[in-house]
Amino acid sequence: MSTPTARRRRIHPIDGLLTVWGLLGLAFLFFPIMVMVAFSFNTGRTLQAFEGFGIQPFVDALSNPAITNSVTVSLITATGVAIVATVLGTGAGIALARRSGWWAPGLLVLLGLVMVTPEIVSAISLLPWFVTLGVDWGLSGFNIGQVRLIIANSLFSSAVVTFIVRARMAGMNESLEEAAADLYASPFRRFVDITLPLIRPAVISGALLSFTLSLDNTVVSSFVSVAGSTPWPVYIFASLKSSLRPEIAAMSTLMLVLTLIVLGIVVLILRRDPGGSGSGVAGLAGTMAGR
Amino acid sequence: MTTLQESAAPVAPARPVARRWLRVPKGIGALPIGVWIVLFFILPFGLVVWYSFGYKPDMYTTHSNDVLSFDRYGEAASPAFFAIFGRTLKIAVVGTLLCLVIAFPMAYWMAVKLAPKWRGIVLALVLIPYWTNFLVRTIGWQISLSPDGFVSSALQSVHIIDSPLEVLYTSGAVQLGVVYNYLPLMILPLYVALERLDPKLLEASRDLGGTAWTTFWQVTVPLTASGATAGLLLVFVPLMGDYITPTVLGGAKGSMVGQMVAGQFQSAQNWALGSAMAVLLMIAVFGTSAIVGGLLRLVGRITTLATSLTLTTKEPR
Repeated sequence: MSTPTARRRRIHPIDGLLTVWGLLGLAFLFFPIMVMVAFSFNTGRTLQAFEGFGIQPFVDALSNPAITNSVTVSLITATGVAIVATVLGTGAGIALARRSGWWAPGLLVLLGLVMVTPEIVSAISLLPWFVTLGVDWGLSGFNIGQVRLIIANSLFSSAVVTFIVRARMAGMNESLEEAAADLYASPFRRFVDITLPLIRPAVISGALLSFTLSLDNTVVSSFVSVAGSTPWPVYIFASLKSSLRPEIAAMSTLMLVLTLIVLGIVVLILRRDPGGSGSGVAGLAGTMAGR
Repeated sequence: MTTLQESAAPVAPARPVARRWLRVPKGIGALPIGVWIVLFFILPFGLVVWYSFGYKPDMYTTHSNDVLSFDRYGEAASPAFFAIFGRTLKIAVVGTLLCLVIAFPMAYWMAVKLAPKWRGIVLALVLIPYWTNFLVRTIGWQISLSPDGFVSSALQSVHIIDSPLEVLYTSGAVQLGVVYNYLPLMILPLYVALERLDPKLLEASRDLGGTAWTTFWQVTVPLTASGATAGLLLVFVPLMGDYITPTVLGGAKGSMVGQMVAGQFQSAQNWALGSAMAVLLMIAVFGTSAIVGGLLRLVGRITTLATSLTLTTKEPR
């Protein structure tokens, strides 16, 4: 491991170029986010024209019932999605890692399809489906906006949780579970007392990632949401057609802070996890890249 | 050349054949998600396929299936559709390649050049934009690219441009937007692939007389090809169906297929035609991915073959 250090001490022009390229790339990635944060302090009437600096947009955002309602809808949706996705994904992740059978390749293909299908296609498929279930077949539960939002957002998140839990299980020694089984623990006790505590970091981080994922979802949500339960990104998308006001940037900044807090917790959990795949962020990246 | 194959998979220990506690049906835990996916992913798409054979009977009805035909596909495959489809494909191909070109040096820098203590932090910095709201980030570009925005006035005041910036609401703005929005999805798999690259292989290549250039092309690139393929797929597929970026940045001159499909379901209320367009989009996306994937695999085989041939001819020395 001494070679990379030795190589770095010699200042090579290509290394310098790579560093500049990397830093420019990071600046590029953060540029529009910084712009939005800066413009959330714009006291002007429209978002685009910066007139003065102040916290008025934050006050306006928090006192605008349309905005706070939409954020509430988003938070409820995100919580529901986190629960559904964690339950579905944990079960599937464990089954894929431990009880893989003839169905495993098929399920992996399905999960892959869920993850790579263009969002717009999922969105336009779910709209007629919910109408069929709710209106034509009279299953009125599917007419409730909140139910539709949770179902629609849970698919992608469940796939994410599945892969996170599966990765965690794969890196885990099976001997503890076998020991429990040899000591006549019932499958249920074995799951609750042994498996679940061991994979807890993966489950919690999966839940939190599902939460942030559905908090930000726009496309699917805008197709399935019904009047009265507009989630926050759909509210922004709708205001795009009229005019954007600084309150939107202000609330987005607050939501960004929330997302950062949640991600920070995920990283802390993964880092403290002794059996996890090394550094928290690297494990997260590995999972997201589908390994 | 087994050493040049994928990084060795951990060898699974021999599993006991029968376990007495195996009373629960095998893989029961995966059943709920399977049901969920069939119920809210497969069946809905099946319904879309079914609708695509129907028609829109009158102004107030979105679809009808009492007469089945392929007419909607004929209608969908109109010159207007092909024009927008062509633009979408161009934006997607150029965008995916630009992402690869921008992301590879970044991922290489992060995984190979950066000190390990900085790696986690920089990786987190790449992940944060990915996890922040897609729409909000795109609006950030809309503000920045606007003709009377701050970037435009700054560029004008230093006389780089003489007239206000005319990028917003063109396909150029969409191109920039998609490269920006999907860049993290290319960086991540490349980073993972490069990080797993065993430095010993690079050392071995040097020790065997390989220059930095040949080591890069014959060791680093082939070993990260799987990461690059994953990145290409992760960027290209969602990009083809992107609906937000062209809506925020594209205007009429930069519209993409996703908006056409959405329009049939929202403003036009013609679910039959919209469904046919969605099916065509899916065929195009997965067809292109399959062709590109096949080509990459072929190129990979040829490269491996060429490498092994060069190495075998050099071996006798």
